[in-house]
Amino acid sequence: MTKKLQVMPEEKRKAGVLEFKPIELNTYQKSVKDEKDNFKKEDFLRIYRDMLIIRNFEEMLNTVKLTGEYEGLAYHYPGPAHLAIGQEAAYVGQAYNLDINDFTFGSHRSHGEIIAKGLSAIDKLSDKELTDIMEGFFDSMIYDVVKKHSKAKTTKALAKDFLLYGVLAEIWAKTTGFNRGLGGSMHAFFTPFGIYPNNALVGGSADIATGAALYKKSNKKEGMVICNIGDGAIGCGPVYEAMNFAAMDQYTTLWEDGYKGGLPIVFNIFNNSYGMGGQTAGETMAYDVLARLGAGITPSQMYAERIDGMNPLAVIDAYKRKKDLILEGKGPILLDVITYRVSGHSPSDSSSYRTKEEIDAWIAADSIKEFKKQMLAAKAASAKEIEEIEVACKEDILNAVKLARDDEISPRMDLDKNPNILADMMFSNETISNMEEGRKPDVLMKKEDNSRVKQIAKKQRFGFDDKGKAYSKLKSYHLRDGIFEAMFEKFYEDPTMIAYGEDNRDWGGAFAVYRGLTEALPYHRFFNSPISEAAIVGTGVGYAMCGGRAVVELMYSDFLGRCGDEVFNQMSKWQAMSANVIKMPLILRMSVGSKYGAQHSQDWSAICAHIPGLKVVFPATPYDAKGLMNKALNGTDPVIFLESQRIYDVSEMFHEGGVPEGNYEIEIGDPDIKREGKDLTILSIGATLYRALDAADILKDKYGIEAEVIDARSIVPFDYEKVVESVKKTGRLIVTGDACERNSFMKELAHNVTELAFDYLDAPPVVVGSRNWITPAFELEDYFFPQASWIIDAVHEKILPLKGHVSKSNFTTLEKMRNAKLGI
Amino acid sequence: MAQVVIMPRQGISVESCILVEWKKSVGDAVKKGDILFVYETDKAVFEEEATEDGVMLKQLWEEGDDVVCLENVCIIGSEGEDISQFEATTDNKPSKDEAKEETAEVAVKETIETVASEITSTGRMKISPRAKNLAEKSNADLSVAQASGPEGRIIERDIKTLIKNGAKVTSAVGDYAGGAIGTGLAGSVTSNDLGGISPRKANIDVNAYNEVKTTNMRKIIGKAMHGSLSQMAQLTLNSSFDATQIFEFRKNIKTKKEELGLSNITINDMVLFAVSRVLLKHADLNAHFLGDTIRHYETANIGVAVDAERGLMVPTLFEASQMSLNDLSQNAKSIIDQARTGQISPDLLTGGTFTVTNLGTLGVESFTPVINPPQTAILGVCALTTKLKPDGTPYQAMGLSLTFDHKAVDGAPAAVFLKDLCEYLASFSSNLALEAAQGVLV
Repeated sequence: MTKKLQVMPEEKRKAGVLEFKPIELNTYQKSVKDEKDNFKKEDFLRIYRDMLIIRNFEEMLNTVKLTGEYEGLAYHYPGPAHLAIGQEAAYVGQAYNLDINDFTFGSHRSHGEIIAKGLSAIDKLSDKELTDIMEGFFDSMIYDVVKKHSKAKTTKALAKDFLLYGVLAEIWAKTTGFNRGLGGSMHAFFTPFGIYPNNALVGGSADIATGAALYKKSNKKEGMVICNIGDGAIGCGPVYEAMNFAAMDQYTTLWEDGYKGGLPIVFNIFNNSYGMGGQTAGETMAYDVLARLGAGITPSQMYAERIDGMNPLAVIDAYKRKKDLILEGKGPILLDVITYRVSGHSPSDSSSYRTKEEIDAWIAADSIKEFKKQMLAAKAASAKEIEEIEVACKEDILNAVKLARDDEISPRMDLDKNPNILADMMFSNETISNMEEGRKPDVLMKKEDNSRVKQIAKKQRFGFDDKGKAYSKLKSYHLRDGIFEAMFEKFYEDPTMIAYGEDNRDWGGAFAVYRGLTEALPYHRFFNSPISEAAIVGTGVGYAMCGGRAVVELMYSDFLGRCGDEVFNQMSKWQAMSANVIKMPLILRMSVGSKYGAQHSQDWSAICAHIPGLKVVFPATPYDAKGLMNKALNGTDPVIFLESQRIYDVSEMFHEGGVPEGNYEIEIGDPDIKREGKDLTILSIGATLYRALDAADILKDKYGIEAEVIDARSIVPFDYEKVVESVKKTGRLIVTGDACERNSFMKELAHNVTELAFDYLDAPPVVVGSRNWITPAFELEDYFFPQASWIIDAVHEKILPLKGHVSKSNFTTLEKMRNAKLGI
Repeated sequence: MAQVVIMPRQGISVESCILVEWKKSVGDAVKKGDILFVYETDKAVFEEEATEDGVMLKQLWEEGDDVVCLENVCIIGSEGEDISQFEATTDNKPSKDEAKEETAEVAVKETIETVASEITSTGRMKISPRAKNLAEKSNADLSVAQASGPEGRIIERDIKTLIKNGAKVTSAVGDYAGGAIGTGLAGSVTSNDLGGISPRKANIDVNAYNEVKTTNMRKIIGKAMHGSLSQMAQLTLNSSFDATQIFEFRKNIKTKKEELGLSNITINDMVLFAVSRVLLKHADLNAHFLGDTIRHYETANIGVAVDAERGLMVPTLFEASQMSLNDLSQNAKSIIDQARTGQISPDLLTGGTFTVTNLGTLGVESFTPVINPPQTAILGVCALTTKLKPDGTPYQAMGLSLTFDHKAVDGAPAAVFLKDLCEYLASFSSNLALEAAQGVLV
């Protein structure tokens, strides 16, 4: 309980001075000669080789982009190539001490990181482990290609060819790439080596990597997480959210013993002084020295320091020291790794933003040339040995090019032959009810001792008694109880299940859904997040990506804009971008408000539905809410779970027998007929169901029209069968929901039903949504949200003129034209 | 002074709370800050503290009760104080929905107006796909549809109304009904139907046949005929009249037509003429029956059944009641020829208010013609037979078969019409003379 941490005025108001510790800059200045006793010859040669492979790989890409060939081998590559020629030492130094349990996340400029991390993993894994990994990946598809064509004599050499080929084929969009060519240059990765997704959004990896670190911490998994981003990313808000999230006080003040300390993550900033063409220190940023930022985040100053990333030995040294700190629970760490990109941002970059003098100075300080010089000077390796490596590296790249360019050996995904191959990857559609079988979930009490469980046990699970009389509100089982029950059960089944968001813990969630969870769950499974929507969703993405199940919450759907990238680009995309290597068992709960005005009362279901790769549900009854939550929690796909604040306390009025106690599922995408009728179909989304039912009552009592009311329940996916059958019967359709009418999902439904049942329609389907205005104050809401009377008016004016009816609202064609013209 | 403790309203959406537990019993001393009772909303549990010292005098609710917010819960005061004024302000009942004030019913005039279906200048009719499909299935006559949908659109219920009223397809709406232009129907069978019987040949292969595809026209006629019979209460009255006068008249015309400048007026023309005159006195038979209403036409627009090449067609002789016999004869000849050759305008294949069909020339002595909806009757003209007058004198009698829809017309008025028509035809010359005297040229 945070009640044990009291906030007292005498403490907060006390005078004093806050002191900072000095931040070290490039303290490590050693060379090969100084470290000769600490490294073997093979180590030095490997460092050199790895840097050279990366350099050759990127120069090859540059050549192909610019000339359309490499060493006489023609290839046309139209895709992106964000090169980092000059940054190799920083990559190799970082990867040197990392193993496959250490997860790296990268940026759009990550070819070098992937190759360095892969080569380091190959060096550390046994032949058997390597063979198992290669054989086990895509049923050995990539391995088979390499095995057939590689001249490698050892398993490690074969694995190196496998790595270079897998990356290059991915960059060139071949189906034999590490992600079947669906990720491409900016998204090549290979999780079996601990290489997690690179991200085309600048700073996009920050909160995802933080989520991966949360996964490691909460589930006591080995290893640490490296978030590789550039200095340009320091201008991005979510990066700060991530650093704060990784360092929250509660890890030390509130989390249980065994879980104390910040998240095991290094925010590794490859600081090449430019964010594309904008100079960071000096032009677009304010920090002067990037390492300064650590002091703004934690009292430990994130153990931040500046490292000379041009010297691989300096980076190796830093990681050795920082890994020890991480193991002591002293994360997160911030590293300002100085490097320089000699190549342009991409081949189209003419370097108009920097001088030739500057570039030449860095070329003169080139890390590879320098390292070779040091090795020779220190006699760490002979010129012959070095030359052998140089020849071999060239050969390695050439071999990879030969295989990857060949369309026979490395074909593209055949969407002519298999038109659905990509479509089928949008969702994993698996049922995995426990993400980690065999481990006991960490809980604080027996289920039956839980106060909420006891309270629910006293409630009526169906809204009406034997005589059809409604039970009092407080004695009925509510929609919020359905969500609670589904999640509570999952916490006791799946040890990886975790939930967090703003005010989730002691408060019990803003709308009391989580009341009772605090006493049952330790902090590392259930905690309050900072008010950082980007980090809330982004960490959920990282957590799920690593194999955990997470339910994260935005208090209001209106806050979606604060985590736009995380929902639209991350949560939704990684399953397909990884060719289903990654699963995303992440549920994002969002309540849809009312009563709270323009920025707290919006139904943004359509915005989520627009994004491919998200499932979107919007239940309106306790039975549906629990069944859909169960389905989402047993599945492996990202689900946007919308809940209307209007109906958290609604009782179950439809499902005979009430809400079952067990783990039953409702298929996502299956709408439900809540009332049968023959004259008109009303299809509703979310809480509008109850106003639709009121309208159906009026239509029946006053006009003798029997409306069939269908609750959409889900919007993506959506099975139209029941709706089309209903419309075939009635010939008339009203679609209603609380979203603003323009571009809403209601429009999508209306349009598709028009296509699917045109010949059966007696009038065009009519959408009755909210006005295209701001949501006004509570007192004026009835003018904004659809009302039962609006539905009647719409029927009267657009579908079936009703005897004796006089419309209050204006649904005429002219009004529609006028509003559209005015943009309202 | 006793103090009343109310159930606080915790949040704008909270209407009531459950009183979970009393922390003080009646008679207990209460100090400021003491917990009086515990209550819960649907979201959280709260404790209510005493704000004054005193004694718990009365508890108005029991544990587990659902108490409306702002309602009195208990009374704190000094021992023995009179508290009768503080009883619960509502009966001890859980919250219930307040009866909402009924908004006064505004008296409104009927706002659904039907409009005659419009075919716009571009030839498009506003009709929903569902209504169109139903019309097609049931051959409802869209030209008489009354649109009750938004913006003058014909919707499903309008077609249902048509079906109920028996308004079936005619050629003018062939486009909408999916049929070919140029179809029509009347309560008549065609000569083709009668001409299919041929003498049996010996050694015939009983299994041999020649399968002919049913033409669209045939299908439409079939549907229409069947529809007509299934939707109406049709019955036929047979009568005859002394045809001596009309044959005399016909003979005179034949010999003197050039001299009189008259066209070749046929027996059929004379029957049509008589019908057009007599009909005006029998409004129910010169009408369209639409279920809720019946339309009496002011002119007789007589459909003339024609056995055309492609099948039965019924061109309309508009305003027959306004024509002289000569005009009528010329016009009838013209439309019949047009129908036979298939050159007729679709406009002339609709709009009839009564139909005449003639099988008499084929020797049929009496039959049951089938009505062309929404008309209410059809007259069949039959062959001549020899009959005897009461005094034993033989005469040539021409048979008339009148089918009428009993839904629209009763037997007696129909019989009166038939009687009037027979009398008109039996005294054709004098009636014609009378017409002439009234200014109608022969």
